Amino acid sequence: MIWIGDVLVSQGEGGVYHERMLGGARVWDPYRSKLSALYHTGAGIDLIPEMRVLYLGAANGTTVSHVADYVEVVYAVEFAPRPMQDLLEVCRRRRNIIPLMADAARPEQYAPLVEPVDLLYQDVAQPDQAAILLRNSVSLKPGGTLILMLKTRSVDVRKEPLDVFCDTIDILTSSGLIVKESKWLTPFHADHAAIVCIKPERVRE
Amino acid sequence: MQSYWFGDIRDGRCISFTGDINAFIERVQSVFTLRDTYAPPDWEEAVLCGAFHDRHEYLSKLQAVCIAVAERFIREQYSRKDAELLQMVRTLDEIDTVINLLSEKAAEWYLIRHPAFSRKYHRTPAHALVKTMHEKSKGALGKVAGEIERLGNTRTILAKEVSARANDVMPNTSALIGGLVAARLMSRAGGLLPLSRLPASAIQVLGARTALFSHLKTKSPCPKHGIIFQHRRVHNASRDVRGKVARVLAGKLAIAARLDYFRGTEEPEFLEKAQKRIDATGARREP
Repeated sequence: MIWIGDVLVSQGEGGVYHERMLGGARVWDPYRSKLSALYHTGAGIDLIPEMRVLYLGAANGTTVSHVADYVEVVYAVEFAPRPMQDLLEVCRRRRNIIPLMADAARPEQYAPLVEPVDLLYQDVAQPDQAAILLRNSVSLKPGGTLILMLKTRSVDVRKEPLDVFCDTIDILTSSGLIVKESKWLTPFHADHAAIVCIKPERVRE
Repeated sequence: MQSYWFGDIRDGRCISFTGDINAFIERVQSVFTLRDTYAPPDWEEAVLCGAFHDRHEYLSKLQAVCIAVAERFIREQYSRKDAELLQMVRTLDEIDTVINLLSEKAAEWYLIRHPAFSRKYHRTPAHALVKTMHEKSKGALGKVAGEIERLGNTRTILAKEVSARANDVMPNTSALIGGLVAARLMSRAGGLLPLSRLPASAIQVLGARTALFSHLKTKSPCPKHGIIFQHRRVHNASRDVRGKVARVLAGKLAIAARLDYFRGTEEPEFLEKAQKRIDATGARREP
């Protein structure tokens, strides 16, 4: 990851969302992007140029554009037409983003287009976030990394965020994933947790 | 046989798919139903296939096809009849907010210029006050009042258009609750399809989000009605049956929304029965 002092940046063409520029690089704001917030807490895995990424919940392409600056190719899944319009504009300027207009909960509709990826990143506002992540892990190489941005308030508003978090960890570990690290994204994002997992080389039978 | 978006592999032989962008769009959408075992696409296989020269070409073709698929999907979504109605009714509600805010500010300003003026004991409706301000004030204040009046006229025209469009897009729902309220329900749900998927209990409290969540989190009573309170049969009902009317109306609205989405035409038989049932609920306990 590229840091200028304590500011996280990415190298690429600016002006995607009027982001601030610093020394010719694009500032990656932790208050706007949960992935940037994760790096600011000191966790997360380094994005490297050879990486292939499947990104679920791409929205307007703000975070996607930064990820695309670091890696080889991003497969970006988004279901809503309005944000997809913006994402397409980003795609026209960045040749390494493949937009997939599909529901992240139905990977069978787009998985045939997605190569095996090194990183599976998920940031969707759905109550069954963990299940969606697991269903999409077919596209992930063995040994690959999964990053789940858990919106505890989207899972269940009535439950305590910590309970939702623990339940999610249980689902992930009981499905054979290895939880590497987990962080709350405060003060950048309230009631949001990031969970970083590894898909084992061999899946337990 | 294994099918990929770039071609078919049969008995170790690969036949690459050729065609224009539209053919590729169809291909991408149909290739998914063909597959029975999942095999991830491999760009090296696609190159061996002769479909592309290198990885760069593979990715740029895939991107071009995926952008085209997304563009077509967005066009289809936006050409649905409810897409424009949604924006119309949201704009209408926003104009209402703006008119209220501006009239309030202008009235405060007018009171400074006319210290003896008061709205106490005078039943001056807001639009009448705006008219007075427009006629009696010089300079910017008069202009502001004039703009509010003009905005009011725009609002009237837009409200009529919303009503007419709602009657066309959602005939059954509009017949039960009126075009404007029907359009507002649809806007809150996010479209006609999401509205048709909502259970009646959700339609009943659509628009009462704060009350609903405070009920779910604490012990406060649950809301009886949301947007449907704007309908006369709900707000004119006596307090003791209001919740009941709201519930019955919401039940019929849920059916109406499904008829609107899946049939799209008015169903007189359903409407007649539904109207009777709703009226009967409201009238039951009256002396």
